[in-house]
Formats: sequence, structure tokens, C-alpha cells
Amino acid sequence: MTQSYEVFLGCSIPNRFNNYESSMRAVAEALDIELLDFDGASCCGTVVLKSIDETSWLALSGRNIALAGSRGHDIVTPCNGCFSSLKDVDHVLHSHEEHRRQVNATLKKLGLEFSGDVKIRHFVEVLYDLKDQIEDKIVHRLDGLKIAFHPGCHLIRPSPVAEFDDPELPRKVDELLELTGAQSVPWGLKLRCCGSPLLISSEEVATSILKEKMESAREAGADCVVTNCPACHTQFDVQVLGMKDDEGVSLELPALFVTQILGVAMGLDRERLGFDLNRVSLAPVAEKLGLQ
Amino acid sequence: MTETWGQLKSFEGKEFSTLDKNFTREASKLIGGQDLTACFQCAKCSAGCPVSDKVNVQVHELMRMLVFGLKEVLDTDMVWLCTTCYTCQERCPQGIDITDIIFGLKNMAFKEGKTPQGYIVSRKGLYDTGKLYEPTDWEREDLGLGDVPELDVEDTQKMFKDTGLMKLKEGDEE
Repeated sequence: MTQSYEVFLGCSIPNRFNNYESSMRAVAEALDIELLDFDGASCCGTVVLKSIDETSWLALSGRNIALAGSRGHDIVTPCNGCFSSLKDVDHVLHSHEEHRRQVNATLKKLGLEFSGDVKIRHFVEVLYDLKDQIEDKIVHRLDGLKIAFHPGCHLIRPSPVAEFDDPELPRKVDELLELTGAQSVPWGLKLRCCGSPLLISSEEVATSILKEKMESAREAGADCVVTNCPACHTQFDVQVLGMKDDEGVSLELPALFVTQILGVAMGLDRERLGFDLNRVSLAPVAEKLGLQ
Repeated sequence: MTETWGQLKSFEGKEFSTLDKNFTREASKLIGGQDLTACFQCAKCSAGCPVSDKVNVQVHELMRMLVFGLKEVLDTDMVWLCTTCYTCQERCPQGIDITDIIFGLKNMAFKEGKTPQGYIVSRKGLYDTGKLYEPTDWEREDLGLGDVPELDVEDTQKMFKDTGLMKLKEGDEE
């Protein structure tokens, strides 16, 4: 049966990673997932707005949830930041009567109401439901590819809000990636934050966290880092450029989105998977991905 | 350690004049603050924190300051260098929503003008344009993508007028 969602893209993906959007859409089409435009969406505000003023943050995501609800639709998003904002606000508005009353007073002026019956899902969560169909569609195996998969904090924590996977030993997206024949390698700092939320307050600290992550991925023998979040991907594919360890050896590793890995293994149109837009050179994995 | 943020660099020789129980009470009312005083200083939060070795004041120390009612907690670097990874909250044996409490502390600090410049710029950008990041049309056509979806500005501004986002402290102007 076709699953149907309004797709909440947020602003980080259209800002930097059109290859994530297009590879997501290609994979969704192949799996018969209907992605409806999210008319009238506002930014989710993410942890930035939550840090400044929680009242405004509750209202902003409350409005987005109420909008989809007014059209009778559920929400899917490919971004951990948007996922977290929407899920977290939904959680707060379900558990705090006073906040819900306050948000609804604001929304009423826009002709909207938070009713609390909209499902909010990450795109990888929807993919996990379709694991069997994905397995049937693998035509190009990625045997031998070693992936350092980075789930990103807000996909799995806090677990009572995210409600997706084991917060200490997540396996679901790894299982999807391994359908392709690739190996999701264990790495010491896999669950460690990527550092990206600190780019706004201290690039220095954000960078030192990223360096630790890259050293851990290299130590595990990974060929590439794979993510499902544009904020994390900013660290692994943009901030990492030129980064070296203390001996002067480059710490760059090819960085890909989950949907690019699945898409290439499913034999989808290479153009739509957008490999040309990945910043760190994909040369070390080009042969295994069949890009040559 | 880092020089990037926070006026309270060390507890060494530091004297605190008041233990303000009203501040502890105020912090307990934050989203997630209800179990704040159950902290027994096991420091498991700091053990898993990605910035423990990069800050002057660690998470378990921040928690202690809250229980003691020390408002100087808003001057620690831990408040704004928390990555919001939720590892501490996930693992706290007392079930304290530590990361959520830190979000509340950021709100308090912002109101007092104690905030990295980036947040002030982001607030204005969000209010003026309805988004934190500007979309680009790089390669969209080649990727087979349509126009970048427009994000709402009008309703967003109406809401922010209602919530007072641009007037969180005295002297703020829209």
C-alpha cells in the first residue's frame, strides 16, 4: 500500500544539500512512498530557536504540525534537526497542558489548532518499514564497502521523544545499509555528537569534536561516513575539508547520505543521486559504488 | 580550557555569597526541570559528555550549582557549549532531563544578554526571513528538482509578535 506524507524539508537541506533531497525523492519514488508538498511550512527553528526562547519554538513547530493536521496528513522529514524539533514540540504539547493552551491561543489567531494526532516520522524510519521491499530491489551490490554510519543524536535521543531505535546500540539504519552488501563497521565514537550545533557558538570546539570523530572512523577502517542529517553532513562533508591529524595526514573521508547509498544499490538514476555535489572527493569509493 | 565563552572560568578561590533557593525553584519550573533536585552527583553525565574535556565547568558541576541555587551558573561555558546531544539525559540514573534543563538555562542567559553573537544574528534572520538558512538553486534543475519550496514569513512574524521573540529583554528592538 502506498504510504503518503507531507515532506518537511526544512531550510538546511535546500541551503546546502540538494543531492539529499533529490536522492530521497528518487528512493521514495522507487518504493512508492508519496511525498506531498508541505504548503505554508515555516522553519522548524531547531535547537537554535529552542535555545533562545522555548515559547516561540513551541509555537513555530506547533504551527507546522497543526498545518499538516488541518489537511489530514502525517509528516515525514529527512533532517534530524527538523525531526527533533517537531517530535520534541509534539511531546511537550502532549505532556504539558499549560504549554498546549498557550500555543493554541497563538495558533487560534491563525485559524489553526494543535490537536495532537499527526504522526511525525524521519525518512529513514519509513524506509525501515519497507526493509523487505528494499532488499528485493538491490541490483548493484556494494560488497566490501566499509561504512562508518553516523545516526546523529536527534534521530535516537532522547529516546522517549525520538521513539525510533535503541539509544545506546542503534541498529535499524545499519541494517538498511547492510542490505546492500556493505558493512556498517563498529567505531568507538559512533554515538558521539558531530559537533555541528556548536558552529554557531564556537567553531573551535565544533572542529575539535569533528576531529575526534574522523580519527575514530579512520581507526575503524571505514571507507566512508554515511549520515541521514544535513547538519551532521555539514561537518563530515564541508567543515572537514582540509582537516589533518597531528601528523599532517588528511582526515577527510568520502561522506554520503543514506539515500545515496541505497539509491545506487537499487540501481536508480545516477544523476538524481547527485554525487557531483558531494564536496569531499568520492574517488576512494568510486569503484565500489560503480561510479566510474 | 576554551576561551570562547563564559565569565566563570574556575571554582578555584571563588566565593559565592548567596545560595538562592528561589533560583533553584525557578530552574525546577523549566521544561524538564521537575526532578532537578534528585541529582546525587554521580557525574555519569560528565562521563559521556562530548565537551567535558573542552569546558571549564562540566555538566555535573552545572547541576550542583543549580541545586545550590547559584545563579552564576549562567556565566559558565557549559551552558552555551552544550551540543544538545542528549547523552547525559539519556543516561541519567535519576531520570533528570538534563539537556532540557540546559536549554532553559540558555533561555535565561539570552534574556540577560549573555549569549554568543551567532544567536542574536540567527534570531533576527529567523524573524526577518522566516528561515535560518537561505536556499540555493545549485544544480536543482540537473537533479530533476522543482523550485525551492517557499517558507512562510507572514504567519511566522505574527506568531513571534505574539510570543515576544524580539523583545525578550529590555532594550530589544524589532
